[in-house]
Amino acid sequence: MLEIKDLRVSYGQDVILNGIDLELGSGETLAIVGESGTGKTTLGLSIMRLTEGTVRGVIRFNGKDLLALSDNEMQQIRWSQIAIVFQNANNVLNPVYTVLNQIMEPMVEHGLKSRDEARDRTAELLRYFGFPRDRFSAYPHQLSGGEQQRVLLAMAMANNPELLILDEPLSSLDAASRTEIGNLLRETDKHGAKLVVTHDLDTVSKLADRMAVLYGGKIIEAGLTRDVFSRPRHPYTRALIRAYPNMTTVKDLQGIKGRMTRPVSGCPFHPRCTQVIDICRTKTPHLVWSEGRHIACHRGGIITLLSTKNLTTSFGSLKAIESVNLHIEAGETLALVGQTGSGKTTLAKTIMGLHQPTEGDVYLENTKVDNRGKDFYKRVQMVFQNPGESLSHRLSVLEAVMEPLDIQGIGTDEERKERAIQVLGEVELPQTRNFLNKYPHQLSGGEMQRLAIARALVLDPALLIADEPTAFLDASIQAKILKLLLNLQEQRGLSMLYITHDIAAARKVSDRIAIMLDGRVIEEGPSNEIITAPKQGYTKNLLTAASALHSTESSGIEQQTLNSQ
Amino acid sequence: MHIDLKKEIKESGPGRAGLIILLLMIAVALLAPVIAPYNPYQQSTASLLPPSWNHWLGTNQVGQDIWSRLVFGARTSLLVGFGVGILSTLLGTIFGVSAALLGGLYEKVVMRIVDAFIVIPMIIVVILISAYIRPSILTLILLLSLLSWQGGARIVRAQALSLKERGHVAAARSFGAHHFYIAWRHIVPDLGPVLLVDFIYSVRRAVFMEAGLAFLGITDPTVVSWGMMMRDALSFSYLNVWQWWLVPTGVALSLTIIGLTFVGHAAEPVIEPRLRGAEVA
Repeated sequence: MLEIKDLRVSYGQDVILNGIDLELGSGETLAIVGESGTGKTTLGLSIMRLTEGTVRGVIRFNGKDLLALSDNEMQQIRWSQIAIVFQNANNVLNPVYTVLNQIMEPMVEHGLKSRDEARDRTAELLRYFGFPRDRFSAYPHQLSGGEQQRVLLAMAMANNPELLILDEPLSSLDAASRTEIGNLLRETDKHGAKLVVTHDLDTVSKLADRMAVLYGGKIIEAGLTRDVFSRPRHPYTRALIRAYPNMTTVKDLQGIKGRMTRPVSGCPFHPRCTQVIDICRTKTPHLVWSEGRHIACHRGGIITLLSTKNLTTSFGSLKAIESVNLHIEAGETLALVGQTGSGKTTLAKTIMGLHQPTEGDVYLENTKVDNRGKDFYKRVQMVFQNPGESLSHRLSVLEAVMEPLDIQGIGTDEERKERAIQVLGEVELPQTRNFLNKYPHQLSGGEMQRLAIARALVLDPALLIADEPTAFLDASIQAKILKLLLNLQEQRGLSMLYITHDIAAARKVSDRIAIMLDGRVIEEGPSNEIITAPKQGYTKNLLTAASALHSTESSGIEQQTLNSQ
Repeated sequence: MHIDLKKEIKESGPGRAGLIILLLMIAVALLAPVIAPYNPYQQSTASLLPPSWNHWLGTNQVGQDIWSRLVFGARTSLLVGFGVGILSTLLGTIFGVSAALLGGLYEKVVMRIVDAFIVIPMIIVVILISAYIRPSILTLILLLSLLSWQGGARIVRAQALSLKERGHVAAARSFGAHHFYIAWRHIVPDLGPVLLVDFIYSVRRAVFMEAGLAFLGITDPTVVSWGMMMRDALSFSYLNVWQWWLVPTGVALSLTIIGLTFVGHAAEPVIEPRLRGAEVA
């Protein structure tokens, strides 16, 4: 019904939309998602031909190219066949009309209905959207934000338009009204198409079956809402979901590094992307169909950084780990949870080549790792369980952080020193001469752990394996270290294999959780699913035993069952 | 982990005494040309003189000044001692550390060689070889070193095996470090105390061996040596020359070995802290 081809909109020099392609059939709802400034409102306005910018491309509506129509013809289509609900309700409602007149007006004006019919239809619509009857003759300034929104929706639906464009339809509403209006909108007019333009992921999940993510004037990912939410493929989509407070994900909120900049050569997201390669800077990726999703990324979306296939390590007849299959995507945290002796550290050390696997392989970016040379260790680094042990007591702070650079032979001595000091700053350690000359035994536990993290980061690895990085620290310092790791992930796109016995800590930092028992991975999945719907009995036990703070004497489980009864 | 070797030696009474004796001996050896009134090889017709102001310890059967020979004898003794000490500790370290780090067949071969050498009675082998080749000082040092590094290598390997499991060694490996870097930067520095004790005992053994071989008369006869002096003195045992010829030489040799033993003994708790007495806090 609606087909947009290579739509380009610019205001003078500023290119707002840069080649948008999309299709929308009858009865479908498509959500366009993006941060403010990505051009999503412009897209809605362009379809209505209400932008002041230069519009190029094709917008075909029921076979007619809207951009080729005369102003008069367009006027016929506007409101009657395509309606828009504006973002800012305040400016759209005419302050001198009452609610009832406000909505009746376009119907009568288009000559579609008589005054009486129009009044009935208006009352019906207002009631439908839950607008109180006794307020029909109120003026816009007398309405609350929620009421205004209801009026606008009623107004847009007045002529049963075939295409309804909704710009942030739920943003001004409270949670209860959101759900109510969301449901109404879903039910309304199942034959017409809806285009929802929003930055709000909750709105998307409430209204749209399909979604397209807009960034820098281009669609970078599009697919079924369910699929995109459960497994975002573009780094930007994932970052957007991570930044959105909701009741589904359990990880702490993370922002997206940097700001949106325009214009950008190459991929619009590359200045903020954490898996940039050369081509991203020079060539704009096209939106291509792959594995049930449209995606515009030179790397085919988020890459799989490291994976293990049937990895088995035996010590004599004891299989410390057995047939472990795991994968870690770029920029994500996989938490490996299990009790002591379940083989977590053995797995980490096998990946690092500190133990020889008896069977199976490790793959780095889908290439089998045979001999781990300096190249491998430049990409994959590990923070060991006990920082005091893993730091040589003979090396000062500066020497310790410089050691990986020395071994790898990177840069001159001066450059190494500079880099080491810079990394110390990143992990929030002092950079004073006094501190640089300290020895590990002069540091506190938290400082040692930060130092160990700095040392692992100095090579700028893509994957950090953190083996119980907070096991020796008190809760307050643990919190700081975990925050630090999350920030590093945000800034550098660091992938992490976070090893812990503490599922409570794991859920705060991880995107996915793998549960290990007796050398095997018994359960693996998105953190929220593992936490809320564990499949294995052992996982349930872990969750029951996990730290919980209750003021009453009864345990957490009893408390919950009481509440649910 | 922080064990202060200097403190350990200084705080033990015998250790301090040993150190003083050793330093004294080294000083004598270094300053031999200054201290000795005569050239130790210079002969005169006045043989077998009793002690006098001219010859403090008299002269020997060919008229050489015994005091001067005693002083120069310290040079030979300590040169062989320290030479063997350094060389055999070096060999022990190289083979011990490399065996521990490389492992596999190499380790097996090296350690079996070590076992074989330890089984062979070293003294007899040295005597047999020396009797054939009449070694010079340099050859003697090489010979003794080649026959005495094995014990050290065994200790070093054991220690290195435990050291290489340390977290910081694993960390260094995870930065891509090779064996040599790990050995040099992470293993050897931590071996310091062990190496020192091994070194001191090697020195002691070499001093003893050198004297013994010279006493048997199977070393280079042109070199002044305490062992040879004792042998010469013994052949005149029917005279009372033993008082100023045999006894001072024996005392000098004993003092050197006692000094080394004391220092070594004091340093031993460094490698085996359980040997330490209850510490008074």
